[in-house]
Amino acid sequence: MRPVFRVTPRRALTALAGIAALGLLVAWSGIINIGASSGHWRITSWALHWAMQNSVRTYALFEPKPPTDLDTEDRIRRAAGHFETSCAFCHGSPLHDQPRLAAHMTPMPPGLEDAARKWRPRELAHIVRHGVKYTGMPSWLALQRDDEVLAMVAFLHALSQMPPERYRGIAFGPTVPEDPVLEGCARCHGMDGASKDGAFPVIGGQSEAYLLATLRAFNNATRPSGFMQFAVDGLSDGDLERMARHYAAQAGVSETVRHDDMSRGARIALRGLPEADVPACESCHGASSRRNPGYPRLAGQDAGYLAGQLRLFKQGHRGGTGYAHVMQKIAGRLPDDAIDAVAHFYAGDP
Amino acid sequence: MLLGACSGPQSALDPAGREASEVALLFWVMLVGAAIIWLVVIGAAMFGGKWQKQPLSERAGLRIVLYGGAVIPTIVLAALLVFGLRLMPMLRAGEPELRITMSGEQYWWRVTYAAPDGSKVESANELRLPAGRAAEITLDSVDVIHSFWIPSLAGKMDMIPGRTNRLVLHPERTGIYRGVCAEFCGRSHAFMAFPVVVMEPAAFEAWLAREAAPALSKADNGAFLANGCGGCHTVRGTQATGSIGPDLTHFADRQSIGAGILPNTPDNRRRFIAETETLKPGVRMPSFGALPPAELGAIAAYLGSLE
Repeated sequence: MRPVFRVTPRRALTALAGIAALGLLVAWSGIINIGASSGHWRITSWALHWAMQNSVRTYALFEPKPPTDLDTEDRIRRAAGHFETSCAFCHGSPLHDQPRLAAHMTPMPPGLEDAARKWRPRELAHIVRHGVKYTGMPSWLALQRDDEVLAMVAFLHALSQMPPERYRGIAFGPTVPEDPVLEGCARCHGMDGASKDGAFPVIGGQSEAYLLATLRAFNNATRPSGFMQFAVDGLSDGDLERMARHYAAQAGVSETVRHDDMSRGARIALRGLPEADVPACESCHGASSRRNPGYPRLAGQDAGYLAGQLRLFKQGHRGGTGYAHVMQKIAGRLPDDAIDAVAHFYAGDP
Repeated sequence: MLLGACSGPQSALDPAGREASEVALLFWVMLVGAAIIWLVVIGAAMFGGKWQKQPLSERAGLRIVLYGGAVIPTIVLAALLVFGLRLMPMLRAGEPELRITMSGEQYWWRVTYAAPDGSKVESANELRLPAGRAAEITLDSVDVIHSFWIPSLAGKMDMIPGRTNRLVLHPERTGIYRGVCAEFCGRSHAFMAFPVVVMEPAAFEAWLAREAAPALSKADNGAFLANGCGGCHTVRGTQATGSIGPDLTHFADRQSIGAGILPNTPDNRRRFIAETETLKPGVRMPSFGALPPAELGAIAAYLGSLE
């Protein structure tokens, strides 16, 4: 009779503890090669990627549903400059595929021409917002900015069909000025600080004090924005002052609104919504000989930008100057349709 | 020490008005009555337990139950009912000589006087009354339930959104009293109070005529307007026409700021503008601590000039 080996609970536990100890021993010995140059075994690579895809699919359920008109031109343009500065370095772009250094990373950052085909919009949004552990993919600088994440997703959708000339046009702007400080601003905002069909806010003509306080707020992260916090990273206060001075001197937004307008937006701007405890916008933002320069000028601002910022204020996600909490309180009382009405009034839309 | 709360500007035991006097009298009658009944009951219990060694006959026991348990309580309660009901007709005390509307808002009071010529005079966070005259206060609320209570003058009355309540006051002694919100209404409920100034009738009329006039201040209101204060506050006779917050036309005349929470001094005016949300959690007004010190000072100085 052959001896029978029985699996008893005690033996099973001993075996498990032995395997764990062996694993610890391997890790402790330093025999695992952590060097990026050696790459992964095929099976390791497959297993890691499989686990990552499953995780993204599951966690994408927590992303807000994207709007039906996700891939708008202004969203695509808004993200292009940021993509060039912060993403193309690893992922490549229509102007530069497979950056040499990125090819030496483990895992290797994928090219993104077919990202829109591989991932659903909410999955892309999850990766853009939260990044991917152990890969070098960082999370978005301002996690709460749904609007910026969506802009990047729209851009990734457009990327597969994007000819190099178009990419160059929207990522670098039409002309590159010979000015190391303003060059970065001008790529998106132009030297005149105009809106560019709704892709960017009008910053030309804004008061210098407001622009400087805003740039400082981006720099110390009291105004959350993945685009702008990145753009001002590492700039000196002197640089910020120069930017504020330059754009304040351009034509653009002003304090003067039409007083003969009878629209709902005009009524809110000039008289407020007293029943909802909303004061007239003009009581702070209107023309006055000694208006507080920390309050921004609104007349001529882009409607989409204004409505977007009011919604951010309402959600409590908009910081900025020392007066941002004033707008958080007031925007919190603005009904959604009033936000759109007043934004169109200030944009001067008919 | 024990009697610390029994007098002063906010005590129902130190009445300064007819309604509060009646309430105080009712309280003393009840207190003395309750004390007598307590002594009798305790005395009977001691007598029964300590000195009465023989059990009572069944007939005597039943008689005690009948008189002590039914007849005497009926007489006492009926007397108290008559005594209490006697106070009720005062609630609709004829034609009042003065009509005032007080509206509760989180966390302040909008006060509107009906002037002798029929016009309305808006003020806030302070109630002025002529001594010896009946004043009808119309009470309502725009947000949640508040309750209007001036312990020195009368009992309290709720302020209910969508409903109008009336309360007639007969202040009798001049002086400064304190009214409070007596129904929890939010985070700053405890900071919702107001001074009540009872004046000689002639002085009151002169005051009301002054209150009805636009602001007389010649001080510079540039900082007040430039920083947006006029979006919520009215200063009659100027460009500030906001109706969301308290009317500030004759602000410097008022005893307190922030609805009875701080004495109206230059330092406190400045502090309230800069630290609104710290002094009054949940208040609708944002703090303006980010203003440059010179602007803060200019606004506080302008408010101090609004007599």
